[in-house]
Amino acid sequence: MNAFLLYENSDRLGEHPYYDGKSIVQDLGLKALFLAAAKEVIYDKEVVKRIEKEDVYIQDTLRKIMMVPLETKEEMIYRQEIVRDSLKREDLMRELYGISGHVLQEWNKLGRGLKDKLSQSNPVTKLTSDIMVAHLFYDSLCRIRELLEEAGEDLQSKGLKGLRKRLGEEFSQERAAYVKKVLSDISFYIDGIDQEDEARDQVVKPRIVLECGLEDGLKFSSLKLQEVASQNTKFYRPGSTMDKLQDFKNSRIPDSFSTVKEVAISEQADQLEYAIVNYIMGNLGRFMRDFNGFFDALHMQTAFYVGAINLKHHMERFSLGYCFPTVCEQDRLAFRELKEFVMCLEQRVKAVGNTCDMKHKELLIVTGANQGGKSTFLRSIGIAQVMMQSGLMVTAEEFKSGLFPRLYMHFTRREDSAMNSGRLDEELSRMNKIVENLKETEGAAMLLLNESFATTTEKEGSVIAYDIIRALNEAGVKILTVTHLLSFAQRMYEQYREHSDSVVEFLSAERKADGTRTFHMIQHAPELTSFGLDLYEEIVEKTKATAG
Amino acid sequence: MAERVSILDLRKVSAGEEERKAFFLDLNISQIIDKMAVRWGQGIRKLYAYFPADKECEAYRREVYGDFKREEIYQCCMAFVERLGRVEEFRTLRGKVRSSMQSGVYQIREMDAYCRAFGTLAQELSKAQPESRGLKDFLAYLQELLSSEAYQKMQSTCAKVLEELLGFRFVITYEKDRMMVAPGESEGSYEDFLKTFGDPDRPPLTSPFFASNMISELENSCLDILAKKRPQIFQTLQRTAEEFTSYEDEGLLQFTRELPFYLSFATFQREMSELGFAFCTPGADEKRQMEARGLYDLALAIVAHREGRRVVSNDMYYGEEESFFVLTGPNQGGKTTFARSLGQLVYFTKMGLDVPAVSANVHYFKDIQTHFSVEESIETGRGKLKEELIRLAPMMEEHRSGTFVVINELFTTAASYDARIMGGKVLTHFIELGCRGIYVTHLKELTEIHPRVVSLRAMLDQERLQTFEIKRSEAEESACAANQVNKYRLTYEQLKERL
Repeated sequence: MNAFLLYENSDRLGEHPYYDGKSIVQDLGLKALFLAAAKEVIYDKEVVKRIEKEDVYIQDTLRKIMMVPLETKEEMIYRQEIVRDSLKREDLMRELYGISGHVLQEWNKLGRGLKDKLSQSNPVTKLTSDIMVAHLFYDSLCRIRELLEEAGEDLQSKGLKGLRKRLGEEFSQERAAYVKKVLSDISFYIDGIDQEDEARDQVVKPRIVLECGLEDGLKFSSLKLQEVASQNTKFYRPGSTMDKLQDFKNSRIPDSFSTVKEVAISEQADQLEYAIVNYIMGNLGRFMRDFNGFFDALHMQTAFYVGAINLKHHMERFSLGYCFPTVCEQDRLAFRELKEFVMCLEQRVKAVGNTCDMKHKELLIVTGANQGGKSTFLRSIGIAQVMMQSGLMVTAEEFKSGLFPRLYMHFTRREDSAMNSGRLDEELSRMNKIVENLKETEGAAMLLLNESFATTTEKEGSVIAYDIIRALNEAGVKILTVTHLLSFAQRMYEQYREHSDSVVEFLSAERKADGTRTFHMIQHAPELTSFGLDLYEEIVEKTKATAG
Repeated sequence: MAERVSILDLRKVSAGEEERKAFFLDLNISQIIDKMAVRWGQGIRKLYAYFPADKECEAYRREVYGDFKREEIYQCCMAFVERLGRVEEFRTLRGKVRSSMQSGVYQIREMDAYCRAFGTLAQELSKAQPESRGLKDFLAYLQELLSSEAYQKMQSTCAKVLEELLGFRFVITYEKDRMMVAPGESEGSYEDFLKTFGDPDRPPLTSPFFASNMISELENSCLDILAKKRPQIFQTLQRTAEEFTSYEDEGLLQFTRELPFYLSFATFQREMSELGFAFCTPGADEKRQMEARGLYDLALAIVAHREGRRVVSNDMYYGEEESFFVLTGPNQGGKTTFARSLGQLVYFTKMGLDVPAVSANVHYFKDIQTHFSVEESIETGRGKLKEELIRLAPMMEEHRSGTFVVINELFTTAASYDARIMGGKVLTHFIELGCRGIYVTHLKELTEIHPRVVSLRAMLDQERLQTFEIKRSEAEESACAANQVNKYRLTYEQLKERL
């Protein structure tokens, strides 16, 4: 039985995770996003009352799933549909997550994973726990089936409807009835496990009819099980008058012997019981195997959708509009009011939205004022791209992009940007590994460069950037770069002006005539100054002025 | 009663026949036998240890082996061995139990399996129509035995008792801490219910009491009740077992002992053929010259295939006036391998089996003698030379005429001058005794020591790399420098390969 809520035909994550997911998480600040996804927002009359403590499993799961990009439009739509259903029926998704979690938790208590060790030390313990696990499976599957059936028309996604259909087939009424009967027939074997002996007036005892031959050296051979049932019988205290009377009555049965009078026979009767129950449980083997991985898969997959639900509430908390992105050609990138989600989460501020539509562009060069929102802009695209490629909604009114299963980050982290050769070496080595990976893998590729090669002089850095970016671009890699390397930007711009069909786009952080920054990106030719002077002015001179 | 038949024709093996051990190791034949022993057990070693007594005996086996290569005969004998395994199983069980009643049951089953195994063999074998004297005679013997009155009686009694026993069923009803026991069958249908959604791969219901061969107390309590209800079954059982305590025929026992010789090699040959290694039945024509095409080292083939290496095969012949190959050439050039493959060629021919070559004609030799230097020997200098000579001496006795001799790197520690003279004497001695063989050496002078010597050389290609091909050629002096490089595997290609 498969859950198939992440992919239409697989319960496994895709085989191609992002190259260097660690950098993606770090450079885009996705940790905050995973954390938010793990925290439920509790409302009281539509007002946020509190935020729950994070569910670490959801946090980890989001991280795992988001680091494996979807590779086709169909895959993306498949997930988006389920996210839509989840938003419509939050309760259902949360309960599926809860039930599967409960199964796994109880199963662990019953010694899952320890199984092999346990079976060697004590087969009876293993058999009893197997029976308990079968009960757990049965109860949970009944509940899940019921939930999905009740949801009726609320479920519109292929994924959830498919799950309902498959469960109806693989856990059909007939099969469920079979499992139920088997478990009830052998219930004598686990009788008394949950109860205190004192409080009982009934005991469950087996009735077994067994046909045998003697051809194997007069030992019981070619066994054939004819009847098995559990019977409720009155419980009499051992040694009591009623007990003795019962015993006397039984001893009058002809051609029979007691299985409790002699220690050896009593032990052997237990062995026979064990063998028979074990054999019967063996018949549930296929059932257990069919659903063995189901709860793990379901738990992991529903965790993702519960995460999506939580993210939606966090978006609403910060009044961020969201949409389900759509796939377009790889040389296009278009969005309206795209906001940087992580920054909103971390700084609890309302971000500035950006809007643009870049058609037939393979290279985007963002230049402009310091503190003008360039890096934020780049990150907002990166985050949206990652969310889109995992089937989630993004914080924009509209978002259109191609799918890039190969997404690379090459960010210069602020704290690293001291100018020395060791740093440049480290940067080049990182780039070398990216190139190595590009060589070894296939699929559409996008590279985000943030202040790359700024660890050397502007002139040298420009040459390096020019060569690398041109080469990669020609190899079909889509590149978005934020750069201070103005010689590089200028050189690219001159070429751009000469070719009307250039695939390069230039954006710049907007600066109003009076010098104020709007944090908007506008189409603009790169300038020879990066407005550091402005900043200097703002910080140094103004402080001077106020002090003065 | 027909005479017993040996499919190995062992009647002709003289009592004084010695086991041959020295060349087993030198020619790596023990590795081949090890490989076969994995499936057939160490018992087959003995079967490979003795040579047939004479030329006729070799031919007799070759004929029998020819039958075993036929699909129908191979398959029916393999199936027979499988059935015999059942007999063994019951015999083992019989040996383990203490109660005579229990051992009686196992004995009846053992006899039944025995009759089935030989009965089926007789049927299938006669359908396959063996062509060799050995198998034809054995089949006649078997058929006569099976139709004898004594055997018929045993078979029918055994079948009757077994049928009764197999048909006997009883029912245990376990309820309210008691077990009720009654002969007969029961109407229940729980197995049918279990099957509806059950697991087709589930293990069958087996009695927990099989953990021991003894009858448990619980089983005994049931048997007490059953014995009271149906006494006659238990009495017949005991009577029959006593009547046929020793039922096996000596002639059939001998067959089952000898059979693995052919089957083990036939199975091995099939496996190796499937991997692409050639085999052929050697001609044993004394009038034609001794020769082989596509000859290779079978022991090396096993290892090389496992490691994905190529195995080089060679062609060779002894002209009418030629007695000895003197093989020179670079180290690691395939000299020893070639010498071994020659020895194996003669060995398998003598055993009446197929040989590792595309085609071959091999003359009759009384024996195979080998002398390989013991590299691991701690002794050097005079000590080692002495050790070599001690091993050599008995090989050179007069009665060892007409043998096949494989000598590998003799006298390496002696001075060259001495080694040349000693080597010459050894060669001349064997040639004059009417032996054939091969002498692997670094001393090129030995190629000219006697008119009946043929010079062979391990060949190099243009880049002076080993080709592992062995050709008739004048010995060469200059291989020395290249040898050094080669020895340390430091040529360009070798380094490429190593890195």
